[in-house]
Amino acid sequence: MSRLDRTRTSAHQLRPFFSSQNLLNRADGSAQFDFGGSSVLCSVVGPAEVKIRQEKLDKATIEVIARPLVGLPGVADKARERSIQETLEPLILSSLHPRTLVQIVVQTMKDDGCILSTAFNATILALLDAGIPLQSILGSVTCMIDSETNEILLDPTTEELARSKSTHVFVFDNKTSIAGSANKDQAKDQDQDQDSLEGAILYSDSTGIFTENEYFECAHAGFKAAQAVHGFIRTAVQKKLEKEYQQTQA
Amino acid sequence: MTSITTDQDMEQTPGPNIVLPGDLLPPTASGLLEDGPTAPVIKLGPGLHPMDDDTITAVKAGVLKHSEIGNRWWVESNQRRYVAAAGESVIGVVVGKTVEHYKVDIGTAQPALLGVLAFEGATKRNKPNLNIGALLYCRISLANKDMEPELECMNPTTGKADGYGELKAGFVSKISLGLARRLLDPKSLVLRLLGQHISFEMATGMNGRVWIHSTSTKHTILICNAIKNSEYLDTQECATMVKNLVQKM
Repeated sequence: MSRLDRTRTSAHQLRPFFSSQNLLNRADGSAQFDFGGSSVLCSVVGPAEVKIRQEKLDKATIEVIARPLVGLPGVADKARERSIQETLEPLILSSLHPRTLVQIVVQTMKDDGCILSTAFNATILALLDAGIPLQSILGSVTCMIDSETNEILLDPTTEELARSKSTHVFVFDNKTSIAGSANKDQAKDQDQDQDSLEGAILYSDSTGIFTENEYFECAHAGFKAAQAVHGFIRTAVQKKLEKEYQQTQA
Repeated sequence: MTSITTDQDMEQTPGPNIVLPGDLLPPTASGLLEDGPTAPVIKLGPGLHPMDDDTITAVKAGVLKHSEIGNRWWVESNQRRYVAAAGESVIGVVVGKTVEHYKVDIGTAQPALLGVLAFEGATKRNKPNLNIGALLYCRISLANKDMEPELECMNPTTGKADGYGELKAGFVSKISLGLARRLLDPKSLVLRLLGQHISFEMATGMNGRVWIHSTSTKHTILICNAIKNSEYLDTQECATMVKNLVQKM
């Protein structure tokens, strides 16, 4: 079955990733992440001084600001802010920096579908760049079910999303994938996969009409694709470190 | 700045000692799995954190380092925001003054406190008078996540200044914490190269600030640029860069 997006041949193929860290001079950490034609720039400031009104005595305050492509932030941007903030709050070891502020600004640069997933991935790269202590990293993928073919499409474009019956955004941590690779010898059956998935989902957001089975199929497809995102993040960090260590290695 | 592009079917080849948050400390290598009185003591440095489930996990992205002496493990990572740690030397600016303390901005979330008597030979009658805006090279005497960091301008064991104190004249520039650590290495390449052409005085703070003092403004600017440029260059490129800058002058 061919996709509406002509650049891709299979339903589970993701668009090419691109990332760039340490772009902004004055932020403590910044990163850009692209899924093909979708691009998000994220900056992180912190741990910085916090306003008394926002101050929490036992942990850092995490503030997320989402900025749209054009114009003023609307309801959708506020919803995105909340999604990112509530996913990151348990992930960031905020108790290590009490009475401080970690401010995350998420700016959409190009929109061709899956902006929330792109924003999640950009945010984690920016947090890594800023050196904010994290429990684990995350990787996010969006998938949709086509209303005509009933097929699960990963990382859909805006054009494809117009034909969706339901869309699902998933965020997975990298802890489960490590446990999975450690027990490579054990045969992985479907049940085991299902168990491991439970702990790995950090965020899941679905819109539209779908059955329970369809949801789990999407979750599994998303989980596999998230491994690619995790791998990419690792490569990105590795490339950055290689650049920093040029003098010491020589 | 680093950029990479790859297609999704790229090879996943993580380096042997590069860790990301969520990666576990190798349990057998560190002796974590051993039990009983003979189990080795593990000392954790920055970037590693014991989790609720009895594992030790990296919390920052960087290079996992290990020292046999004392079985110490830490993650070497680069960042721009300073988080105070006791014993480190930093460069700060006086931003406030009370009867007992100076408030000093060292780049942390909260300004640090420097006691008015924490100077060499300071007494109630005879103490240095610093103005707001004064630049200081000082040592962190106390760092606690719940409190403002505390500073002192002397060596606590000898009571001598040991080079700490107000920095007069010169110029301060901000760099990344990783670069600051590299500059503190006596074998630092860029400083060695610069030293062959220009004489200058320098103080590096672990908080990512360098103070440079030389005979002319022209030299100061050159040194400052060379240091900033050197961060992402290899040995050869660094030598060429310094050579070009010196020739242009």
